Amino acid sequence: MEYIEKMNAASRTSKKKKKLKNLYIGLLFVSPVLLGYAIFILGPLIISIILSFTDFSIGAKSTKFVGLLNYKDMFTGKDFFFFPAVKATAYYVLISVPLTIVFSFLVAVLLNQRIKFRGFFRGVFYLPVIIPIASASIIWMWILQPDFGVANYLLRLVGLPTSTWLASDTTVLPTLILFSLWLSGSTIVIFLAGLQTIPSHLYEALEVDGGNGWHKLIYVMIPLSSPIIFFNTVIGFINSIQTFVQPFIMSSGNSGSGGAMMGGPDNASLLYVLYVFQNAFRFSKMGAASASAMLLLIVTLLITAMFFKLSGYWVHSEGDDSRK
Amino acid sequence: MKKGSKHVSWLISLMLVLSLVLSACSNNGNENTSDPAQTTNDAAKDAEKKEPVKLKFTYWGSPDEKKAIEGATKKFTEKYPWITVEPIQIPNSDYNTKLTAMAAGNDIPDTGYMTSDLGDTWAKEGKFVNLFEMLANDPELKKENYLDYIWYKQTPDNAWGISTAGEAFGLFYRKDLMENAGVATPPTKAENAWTWDQFVEVAKKLTIDKKGNTAMDPDFDPKNIKQYGVTFETWAGPINNFVFSNGGDWLSKDGKDFTLNSPESVEAIQKLADLINVHHVAPSPLAAKSLPAMNVALQSGIAAMAIGGQWMNLDLGNAKVNYDLAVLPVLKKSLTVAISGATVLFKDSKHPEEAWMLFKWMSDPAGAIDLYSSGLWMPTLKSWYTDPALIAKWVDANPAAHPPGFKDAMMNQVLNNGVPDSSYYLKNQAKIVSVTLSSLDAVWLGKKTAQDALNEVAAQIQPDIQGRYDVAE
Repeated sequence: MEYIEKMNAASRTSKKKKKLKNLYIGLLFVSPVLLGYAIFILGPLIISIILSFTDFSIGAKSTKFVGLLNYKDMFTGKDFFFFPAVKATAYYVLISVPLTIVFSFLVAVLLNQRIKFRGFFRGVFYLPVIIPIASASIIWMWILQPDFGVANYLLRLVGLPTSTWLASDTTVLPTLILFSLWLSGSTIVIFLAGLQTIPSHLYEALEVDGGNGWHKLIYVMIPLSSPIIFFNTVIGFINSIQTFVQPFIMSSGNSGSGGAMMGGPDNASLLYVLYVFQNAFRFSKMGAASASAMLLLIVTLLITAMFFKLSGYWVHSEGDDSRK
Repeated sequence: MKKGSKHVSWLISLMLVLSLVLSACSNNGNENTSDPAQTTNDAAKDAEKKEPVKLKFTYWGSPDEKKAIEGATKKFTEKYPWITVEPIQIPNSDYNTKLTAMAAGNDIPDTGYMTSDLGDTWAKEGKFVNLFEMLANDPELKKENYLDYIWYKQTPDNAWGISTAGEAFGLFYRKDLMENAGVATPPTKAENAWTWDQFVEVAKKLTIDKKGNTAMDPDFDPKNIKQYGVTFETWAGPINNFVFSNGGDWLSKDGKDFTLNSPESVEAIQKLADLINVHHVAPSPLAAKSLPAMNVALQSGIAAMAIGGQWMNLDLGNAKVNYDLAVLPVLKKSLTVAISGATVLFKDSKHPEEAWMLFKWMSDPAGAIDLYSSGLWMPTLKSWYTDPALIAKWVDANPAAHPPGFKDAMMNQVLNNGVPDSSYYLKNQAKIVSVTLSSLDAVWLGKKTAQDALNEVAAQIQPDIQGRYDVAE
């Protein structure tokens, strides 16, 4: 007996040792990621927080702490571009996120049906994601050129009213939102994957009870997809609040000598990250840019937190009875 | 949701948000590759027994400009075999970003182009060599050899930069399209310049809708235009031609007040906007953004005339477009705005002497004649405008890029009636120009009058007015 106990104790300590060794090896293996995170994300984040309280500008001889001045300048409108940027970003995010979710979900539902050329259509909707966004932006700029572009030509051909697209302050954001719909292939794919996991017996049960296609959508597809809708909404929100490339290429000036405007016309497409970029690299105001970036971080955190808080009311999780 | 998974999801959302903000802050500047062709002759290097020196030269420009620059630096290396030059081409729109990033990484070039807005900021921080000092110590060159206006000064005796080239604006036009419309070609001499009304009338005759009506016809359909009479860009340079011609300016003479909302300035800007919204003879500049560059617009006949910079000669000449040059229409006084990016020597360069040699090489047409004869640049040295033998070397050598009107409408116009652009004297210009130009968008769109928009700007921008460099404080 004693012998067996000893053996057990020995194996316990060796198990403990092994566990510890495993931990070290494990840490070693994940260290590239942890180090990368610390050096490239955590470090700059902390530096950025500090810089947001300074008047730092690259190449400047001296940098001094200015307290909350950078933040004050934003909210008092002394930074001329802050309110236009907030306005444009709010407009863009509030419309593009829900629209993309609804659009992608409906497309995913259609692509989940037994239709002809299903593979082809699935490819078509995903194709824009493969095209580099910068090239796609330039091609769309040409297509949307109000006078000579293909888009207006086609509209005219079928007798529809044309648009000024990117060339006017009232149409530039709707145009960018349409562009974001065109780019929603990844969201569609995620929805599609979710829809395919819905077991067919649910549909069959519904059919037995005399439900039609509409009922399938309302009572099966949407509730069972709610975790994925939630996921796509959060990701979509984070992506859309940081939209940069499209307005940078499609609606920013490029005459470097003497103030190239960003997010035109009339600042209508000056999305927030573009505004941060403009402060940092056009006006060399790194301190102010850091402060704006911090504000973006805080706002994004708060809104994401809100999403999670509210998710309990509508997100359906399989096998989760603690749902409120 | 269960409590545990809530924590995890919180963590995930926090990470997502963190990485979002950081990726927003980070800058993915394009790495520009150097040209491997810039190798030196090793044998010659040994013969010279000089320490090999490598210079980094940054610039922006079109593919043709790249070719011309690389040709000039190659010849420079042939003459001074111990100096290699690495020319780095950076797109103009990314130039400030890239240079800022290079400065942050202590990887600043030795010499190169500089935008006037970033130059203005960096000059204050003492990042550039005072060119007047270099000139004072130079046995060959004197300040008086250069055109008068070309210095970017901080104070009367400190120049942080020199205009890379002589550049100015003119009225480019397609000869054949003028003939088709049966209008007289515009004058090349300042004293005969078109009045604004004459200009508008011709522009109307040259604007044609899809049914073939011109803007003069009552049936003209401004929504379906096939060929515009004129096209122009709306950054500060082109606008200044008309603001200055009408007696306006960005700032008051003492540099204390914003005066782009003065009656003279406003009238000029409103007249430009009316070309778009009242006369329908010019595309909205905001729509023009997605048009091809102005030289292509001329070449393809989208526009019959273009208010453009001298540098357009390069591309038009290469494309063998049937065009000519005239002086700009006049409001009160015939003039052309002289403008150019700056060339600077960076103070952090380890080889200031060699950088100065390279600068002298590029600014002397004798050594880099292709830059001038190709139509890209005009010289900065006065003698090249006045000595017929020298003029022959760059103007007459390439008639494709120097059409018949060039000498009067461009070369002599800048020499006799050239007025320095606001970029030479406006302090804090990055901010002032950005705020002003973005507010003018509403004017180009026809939603506000120039007066209203500029009055609003004047109220907002006054705290950012810091004066002018050409006025002693």
